[in-house]
Amino acid sequence: MRLIEDPKLDQFRAECRDWLQDNVPKGPRPAEGLALREYDLAWQRTQYDGGWAGVSWPEEFGGRGLSVLEQLIWHEEYARAGAPPSASMFVALSHAGPTIIVQGSDQQKRTYLPPILKGEENWCQGFSEPGAGSDLASLKTRGVVDGDHLVVTGTKIWTSYAEGANRQELLVRTNPDEPRHRGLTWIVCDMDLPGIDIRPITAMSGVTHFAQVFYDEVRIPLANVVGEINKGWNIAMTTLGFERGTGTIAHQIELANGVERLIEAARGTVDPLTNRSMIDDEAIAAKLAGLRAEVMALRSLTVASVSRGMREEVPGAEGNIPALYFGELTRRVNGAALEIFGSSALVRDGAHNWPLHYLESFKWAIGGGTSEIRRNVIGERVLQLPRGPRAI
Amino acid sequence: MIIDLHPTEDQQMIADSIGGMLADALPVSRLREESGHAGAIERSLWNDLAEMGLFGMGIAEEDGGAGYGLPEEIVAARELGRVLASPSVLAQMAAVHLSEDNVREALIAGKERAAFAARGLGGEVLLFDGAGADHVVLLSDTAVLASCEMFDWQSAVSMDETLTIHRSPHTDPTEDTRSPIADRISLLLSAALSGMAHGATALAVEYASQREQFGQPIGSFQAIKHQLADMRVRADAADSQTMVAAVAFGRGNNDRNEVAAARWLAGDAAISNAKAGIQVHGGMGFTAECDAHLFLKRAHTFASLGSSRRAEERRLLDQQ
Ligand SMILES: Cc1cc2nc3c(=O)[nH]c(=O)nc-3n(C[C@H](O)[C@H](O)[C@H](O)COP(=O)(O)OP(=O)(O)OC[C@H]3O[C@@H](n4cnc5c(N)ncnc54)[C@H](O)[C@@H]3O)c2cc1C
Repeated sequence: MRLIEDPKLDQFRAECRDWLQDNVPKGPRPAEGLALREYDLAWQRTQYDGGWAGVSWPEEFGGRGLSVLEQLIWHEEYARAGAPPSASMFVALSHAGPTIIVQGSDQQKRTYLPPILKGEENWCQGFSEPGAGSDLASLKTRGVVDGDHLVVTGTKIWTSYAEGANRQELLVRTNPDEPRHRGLTWIVCDMDLPGIDIRPITAMSGVTHFAQVFYDEVRIPLANVVGEINKGWNIAMTTLGFERGTGTIAHQIELANGVERLIEAARGTVDPLTNRSMIDDEAIAAKLAGLRAEVMALRSLTVASVSRGMREEVPGAEGNIPALYFGELTRRVNGAALEIFGSSALVRDGAHNWPLHYLESFKWAIGGGTSEIRRNVIGERVLQLPRGPRAI
Repeated sequence: MIIDLHPTEDQQMIADSIGGMLADALPVSRLREESGHAGAIERSLWNDLAEMGLFGMGIAEEDGGAGYGLPEEIVAARELGRVLASPSVLAQMAAVHLSEDNVREALIAGKERAAFAARGLGGEVLLFDGAGADHVVLLSDTAVLASCEMFDWQSAVSMDETLTIHRSPHTDPTEDTRSPIADRISLLLSAALSGMAHGATALAVEYASQREQFGQPIGSFQAIKHQLADMRVRADAADSQTMVAAVAFGRGNNDRNEVAAARWLAGDAAISNAKAGIQVHGGMGFTAECDAHLFLKRAHTFASLGSSRRAEERRLLDQQ
């Protein structure tokens, strides 16, 4: 453990900060739908034009070719500047892009990476199915080779930002005779192909940011397969590993800001029980202090994770530790307002819109792997505990 | 400022050499026998520990120390916590920062000894594993070094039968304001508590991997596996926060907050993990012969040293 002190990095940080200060979009951000996609792509283009897209991506594909340290600094400053979450660009920037950098062919890198960085294309992720969520390897959407195409039939669900997405990282079963994870293929699906039908799903918060996607004999060129046919599972695991990287730092800082907002609000609110500031209540103070400590711990767990990440090419199972912590803590932080402020916190159009944050917070312990699955993985792959019973 | 939490070569060497030495000489199992209580084995190793440079680890070479910093002390303190070393070892590492010249030299060389004492209720002072100590590191919200002779010690019976408690009615008048040294000692305690949290996890993981019921290792049951995963997460959270606070110590403008968070998390991790560890061991966990309860008792002792959880919570809210 040490401080890395390097004037070049300080200089880099200062440059990030200056540029972000001048360029972070100030206007209101659409909550959902195509308007949100447009907004996210425009912001990505601004970053590209400023020379800030893909800080650690290879230079030949439009990135800056810098190390993970610069990438980390960029993410930190990005979050500090209050820049928008990557949202509809998330899969492209934090999943598909990094996966293709590690696993894709040169042709695929040339085709797919630059349009991401330039803000021309956004991606979505088609992994989960109605019958295959936590048990991803049981997925059934079929891919049948026909000449130089893969013909895909089936359905994916919970596909975030599917509406308007240009491309999709799609996981399909190409060999039904092989058990589970052995017969899968990771392929790039263009979302405007004939036979694709997207039906939006509204979340419990009232926001619509995911969809069910149906595929009816969709013909995808075999050249779009990343890695080899029937070897898609390892590619998918690479993809999911990246989810736990620095991509969530912006959300973490948002969470830290959430705790600060709670503390501010508790300071400025009179407790009807005592007629004093709510922060003077021992129980409320203890709760808020604890949340502040835990948010700091989350940052420190991420620092530990990034420190490990500097030394491994592909993220390991330990990445589940900050991810599990984040999912559980997010729910508690966003639920605290309702516990502390009572019925006034139930108003949606209040200054803080606590209900929206509260309702949305549930997704972090579900999406991208539930807390329970993360505990399984930490138990079996980090602590090396004996595996539980599995069908096949 | 960027923080890298990967151990440096020096830190890895310290962890390996001190950790290895402690695992051999001070296995947790030593505490099952009375001969291993009250820090007796630690005392017999005092010269070896001094020679390894443990006591002056964070003191500059020109002042007779090993010339490392707080991060290296943290590495050592974590190892001490993992084997439930007597609090007097950590007290010695703390005392060198509160002393000057001759006393410091004698402490670094292991010629004089220190022990932790805490302020209890009604002004009483409680001393831990203090037999034969010359100095007490008196901890409350502040940290003060005092002569052991200033007090009127009466022996008492400790919840943790593997260490001794003496109590004195004496109220020390030299109440100080909180100094950076108190924060530094707080981080040493956090590191020891994190080490305990990891130690309790390792013990429970080992048991759960080997104990079988219903024809399979109990660690394959999710009710057990998930508790163990949570233990690991709590230990890592406390550990990472302690390291971040230690690396940034004296550099940022937010030390108090960082330290308070470390201490709050580490106290919780050590006690919660010890409790969960007992549950994972089942009936065996409730016995005196199983080591699980030793982690619980030590965790409570260390968590009670220094500023209280409530004081840390106030500190966490006061600043930033
Ligand atoms: C906001 C959001 C966005 C998402 N975006 C996408 C996306 O873009 N693309 C995509 O492919 N997917 C996406 N998902 C899907 C997500 O990955 C799945 O919801 C998740 O993996 C859980 O699967 P499931 O919903 O089928 O739940 P299930 O697997 O049915 O789980 C139900 C419950 O059973 C528990 N459970 C299941 N198996 C086990 C086990 N072995 N041990 C212990 N407990 C178990 C789970 O923890 C959970 O509590 C998104 C989900 C959300 C909430």
